[in-house]
Amino acid sequence: MKPEEKMKYQGRLLLFYGLLGLMIATLLAGVGYRQLIETDQFSERVKVQNHRRIVTPAPRGNIYDREGRLLVGNKPKFSAVVYLSDSGVRSAFRNEYRILVRDYRERGEKYNTGRLQKLARANVIQTYLDDVNRMLGLEEKVDVEKVSSHLNYNPLLPFPIIADLTREEFAVLLESLPVESPVQVYVSNQRNYPYESTASHTLGYVSSTFLTPDENLPGEDLTTFAEKGTFGRSGVERQFDEILQGEMGMEIWVVDPYGFQVESIERRYPTKGSDIQLSLDIDLQTAAEDAFWVWNDKEQKKIEHVGAAVMLDVNTLEVLAMVSKPDYNLNDTTPFISNKTFQQIEEAGGWQNRAIQGLYPPGSPFKLLTSIAALKAQTITPETMHYCPGYYRHPTGRIQYCWKRSGHEEHILWEGIRDSCNVYFYLTGLETGVDIISREAIYMGLADRTGINLPHETGHMIIPTRDWKKRRFDRSWYPGDTTNLSIGQGFTRVTPLQMALFTANIARNEITTKPSILKLTPSAVKNRPPSKSIGLTDEQHQVLIDGMIGSVQLGSSKRVQIPGVSIAAKTGTAEVAKDGGKIELAWMVAFAPVEDPRVAIAVIIEGQELNQNFFGGAHAAPIARATLDAYFQKHPELVEQSPTASVALP
Amino acid sequence: MYKKRLVQFKPLIVLAVATLAWLMLPVVFKAIAKTSFYEFQAPVSITSSYVRDLQDFWAARTKSKNELYEAGQSLARLNASYELTALQNQTLEEEISRLESLLQLPSRPDFQYEIARVVERDFNAWWQRITIRKGNDYGIPVGAPVVFVGGVVGRVREVYAYTSVVDIISNNHLRLAVVIEGDNRPLSYRGGGSASFAKPLGIAEFVPVDIQISDTQDLPTLITSGMGGVYPAGLRVGEIRRLRQGAGGMFYDGEVELDPRLASLTEVAVMIQIPPEQ
Repeated sequence: MKPEEKMKYQGRLLLFYGLLGLMIATLLAGVGYRQLIETDQFSERVKVQNHRRIVTPAPRGNIYDREGRLLVGNKPKFSAVVYLSDSGVRSAFRNEYRILVRDYRERGEKYNTGRLQKLARANVIQTYLDDVNRMLGLEEKVDVEKVSSHLNYNPLLPFPIIADLTREEFAVLLESLPVESPVQVYVSNQRNYPYESTASHTLGYVSSTFLTPDENLPGEDLTTFAEKGTFGRSGVERQFDEILQGEMGMEIWVVDPYGFQVESIERRYPTKGSDIQLSLDIDLQTAAEDAFWVWNDKEQKKIEHVGAAVMLDVNTLEVLAMVSKPDYNLNDTTPFISNKTFQQIEEAGGWQNRAIQGLYPPGSPFKLLTSIAALKAQTITPETMHYCPGYYRHPTGRIQYCWKRSGHEEHILWEGIRDSCNVYFYLTGLETGVDIISREAIYMGLADRTGINLPHETGHMIIPTRDWKKRRFDRSWYPGDTTNLSIGQGFTRVTPLQMALFTANIARNEITTKPSILKLTPSAVKNRPPSKSIGLTDEQHQVLIDGMIGSVQLGSSKRVQIPGVSIAAKTGTAEVAKDGGKIELAWMVAFAPVEDPRVAIAVIIEGQELNQNFFGGAHAAPIARATLDAYFQKHPELVEQSPTASVALP
Repeated sequence: MYKKRLVQFKPLIVLAVATLAWLMLPVVFKAIAKTSFYEFQAPVSITSSYVRDLQDFWAARTKSKNELYEAGQSLARLNASYELTALQNQTLEEEISRLESLLQLPSRPDFQYEIARVVERDFNAWWQRITIRKGNDYGIPVGAPVVFVGGVVGRVREVYAYTSVVDIISNNHLRLAVVIEGDNRPLSYRGGGSASFAKPLGIAEFVPVDIQISDTQDLPTLITSGMGGVYPAGLRVGEIRRLRQGAGGMFYDGEVELDPRLASLTEVAVMIQIPPEQ
């Protein structure tokens, strides 16, 4: 090669080397950039591709009554499951698939790969199930679609082959299954209600749903498989769901390209939810609920009344018992409510918590409020006398009768309450006027929710006023509306809880409107917002109490009497129109002991047949009595030694 | 040069060929080879066991007459006490049978006890097993429960002509359904292995959270539940020493202390179920 050619060649070679060097430098820069600058980004991408997160629910907290007895807990639910990520299972899937393909090919038949994969997986699971069937003496079969769906959507979760094992089956599997078998006993938890239907509306139930992982759980950006958890659907379970829930657990797994688990790299155990203690006393609750069952001559068997009852601690306004009938067995709601169960409860009207959602005309117990309004407005005094001929004739000529058609003759206030004389309160109401009575009812809190810490308390209670009637019916207020209002009939609608609260307020002669379903600590009671005065003098207040005592000793509330306990009570019978007829409602409100009130109760029973007679004294009083009796049996120190408590009446 | 290197690699090549040959052998052949190995090994273990018995015999011969006389007396007292207990047990059994027939309860499984001498104890980090001096010759079945005076020993794993291998309850691979004495909720008991120079342990799973351990009360004792179909009810397994929160948050896991005598077993009883028709 000539020197000038060599120079030329070397120049081109240098250019080539330069280009090559540049290319290598570019590649190195690229590698460096990815390795040094984009490392985190790629690590994240690998993590997202290769890591999976399994979220497990925490057991819910327990619910106890005021004496620490378990009302709602958790019950382990054992099932036999197959761990699909087990290498043996995966290899069995492949082998079975190969066998199926070979069979099809040998027969010269066409096959669908996807369908054959499904079948292969189901066959393998069936093999494991056959082993378990043999151990337990069962004949269960695998659902091909379920296996396929589980593998598609939850491949990291174990596949249940037999759910809800009995204790014996659990024990047999423990001893029969090899420890290293892909089939194992798996435990999940299920809500358990040891008292079944008792206090069902108050306690509430839970529904299951796939968990939404908490934000503070690691691995937020990873593909997540969540097991089913529960959330409170009604009652206390719903109200205190956040407290009861606990902290869910999670496990992060490295998975292979097929999505099966290889190695667990992070784990956090679930933490059980906090327990709560209710104000309910299960003894009183049971006593009240049992009293709803009565013998029916016509049907020659015990039937259950429809209605509600609420017992409150007069001093703390804690709910001691809250009944709503018909009810339902809470254990039938878990792990899910079957359509049949739902329909049965629906048809019986069992979903409604009548204690806080049932709206009823308050009937004669409302006469106490009419009395308060009239006394405060000074339209009557305790000595005001009215004559009851058995009816009241309006100036228009319309006649409204007293429940006692023969009349009560002359009455002063306490006697009017004792005998529940309608005419006395027609006249008192007319003298006082709708405005004052309604204002007083609103002041006593009857127009508003009580604010009890339970969900779904109705806000549709009605304390009618002139404006309300105008707005609702575009009609004026008539004197007949006032007389109806005065005896708790007509448009007025309140809940049993409100009536229990109203009774407790009368017992204490002051107004506090917020009851509690949680057991209150002494400091919580002390720090409650101050009560407001009803506005009656002691003398006026005593007249109301005398009327209620008189009702127990001489009037319609006799059936609530308990030897040794002084009780003040008021019965009532109200009517509501239904299907062209009338349904009667039986009321009883009471508190005891009179000298130092501890408990107040309101009971309502709904008539079930049109125009059937229902009386507070006959139908509601026995329930109030049974519940009060249960209370005083637990507090013998409050029962006087004398056989019957006799309070001096005027 | 190359030849010299090949010579150096010869042992490795032989090993690789032998391994490959073993891997390629049919499974049946391997199974026969494995069983034969144990069958040939068994006489050695049995012989050494008999030698140990002989050794004990000669050790006893060195005792003085007084010592032997005292031992004999002590044994006679023990025998009398056991005879009394046996009599009481017989009366109780009869009473139970009477009550069962009154209540028309199904008969409980009955067992025949085959007492066997332990010829070998094999405790390591992988497994805890014993070999006993009875096998097919005494009708020992695989899976039969094995007990001793302190409760459950384990379960028969393999049976050979004259010997059987028993997994003892500290073995990781042994699991049984147990209950806490005085409670009827079944729990899972699993062997917890044994760390070097440490006592054998077990793990109780699914212990209800209302079970507590306190200094003032007796430790919860695990006994067999009788529900699993292998072990009869009421055999002692161990005591729960410690509890810790289990994985699901619903149960405790318990650390179970086993009978220390398990480490020095000399004689055990294999429970062979008698079919009901016999």
